[in-house]
Amino acid sequence: MKHLNEEELVELYYESRDAQADEQGSNLHMNHVLAEKHMQQCEACATAYDGLARVLASAEGEPVPERGAEYGAQVWQAIRSSLPVYEPKRRHIWAMWPRWAYAMAGILLLAGTFYAGKIWERTHTTTVAQNARQGRERVVLFVLDGHLDRSERLLVQLSHAADDPGAKSETVSLPLQSEARQLLADNRLYRQSVAQAKDPLLAGALDHLERVLVEVANSPDDLSTADVEQMEKELNTDGLLFEIRVLRARVADQAKERSGAIDRGRTTL
Amino acid sequence: MRNMGNADQELIRRVLAGEKDAYGLLVSAHSEAVFRVAYRITENEADADEVVQETFLRGYRALDRFDSRANFKTWIYRIGVNCALDARKARQKAGAVAIAEEFEEEQVAVQLADREAGPERILLDREIEGRRRKAMERMTESERTAFVLRHMEGSSMEEIAAVLGVEPNTAKQAVFRAVQKLRRSLAPLWVKA
Ligand SMILES: [Zn+2]
Repeated sequence: MKHLNEEELVELYYESRDAQADEQGSNLHMNHVLAEKHMQQCEACATAYDGLARVLASAEGEPVPERGAEYGAQVWQAIRSSLPVYEPKRRHIWAMWPRWAYAMAGILLLAGTFYAGKIWERTHTTTVAQNARQGRERVVLFVLDGHLDRSERLLVQLSHAADDPGAKSETVSLPLQSEARQLLADNRLYRQSVAQAKDPLLAGALDHLERVLVEVANSPDDLSTADVEQMEKELNTDGLLFEIRVLRARVADQAKERSGAIDRGRTTL
Repeated sequence: MRNMGNADQELIRRVLAGEKDAYGLLVSAHSEAVFRVAYRITENEADADEVVQETFLRGYRALDRFDSRANFKTWIYRIGVNCALDARKARQKAGAVAIAEEFEEEQVAVQLADREAGPERILLDREIEGRRRKAMERMTESERTAFVLRHMEGSSMEEIAAVLGVEPNTAKQAVFRAVQKLRRSLAPLWVKA
């Protein structure tokens, strides 16, 4: 291998720093590995690298002054009053939909086009509009069930984490935070759409779920089993699990009822 | 990271649908990061605070032109960098920036006692800091931005390229030239060590 030029040394320096920051160290390229190997054998390059690293490491700059936890809120307060409200674009009612529902409905409608085509010829717009509405309800139920299913699994995992007597260490690792974060984003969407549907059971459960998800999403990595237990008690996760199971059963029933004309389209999903 | 991006997209959608306060959540999520970069570029706390506000104001007004496939963080960084560069220029024009004193770079050679505290270490740190600032003044705007992001904020080359709106290779070159300038300014300190 040729000696490393200055540019390669600079790259090597920053990539090593990235790798240190990234615990998995997964960012290392093959070139990087080769360069490091070369440096182990070549004193000239190793010396050049040390010189560069010393200079760069000395010039980290003064630390950036801290901005407190309230900083974002302060900035927002300072600019809020000077911002106009965006006019919602009324002509795209579909745009008011969450994007996933839009995509799903698109797939469904596409699948339904074959059947819809015949109806279209005969009965015109009303039927198609009805079809689309039924399809939309079907889609919402379908994705809602998926959401409840994932939430249920998260709660079950959480309860296992709390009462695992065989756990050697006192801390439990929760790979659940990132799942909770994803669910949280979805959950907010459902809560909004449910708010208009006037369904107190569903609204209450999603509300409860949101509080649990917020806690789990923000929990530290090194929770003890006692912490998890405490959390479960305070948030009544057992109660929530029950609510979710009731809802899922109901969703399944509703889905069955409404499957009607669109159901044939579903098989292509 | 990807989840964050999706959450941002959702918030943007809500803002554009008329829910102004959803933008507050975007501000909360990114103001600290924008402040850091703004501070690195302006090297002035009050200026950096103003830059943050200006950045999010501009961001809000341009939000309906935001490409929904893009990354909001990168996009707002880019606005922040431009605001910060403007602020820095404005201050320099007003003559209010204490331009780092000229260092006689070839003649000063400080004996280095790396981990030693005390007056010598303090003097040395001051010397290094002055030379670093001097070097940063010699950088072009894109070199300075690339350097701040790579060296001080640990951003990836891809992110820097996106912020600068250039190819990754061009961004890499900018970092390299910035490092060369820094080196030229700092290396003499180690000559006699
Ligand atoms: Zn070599």
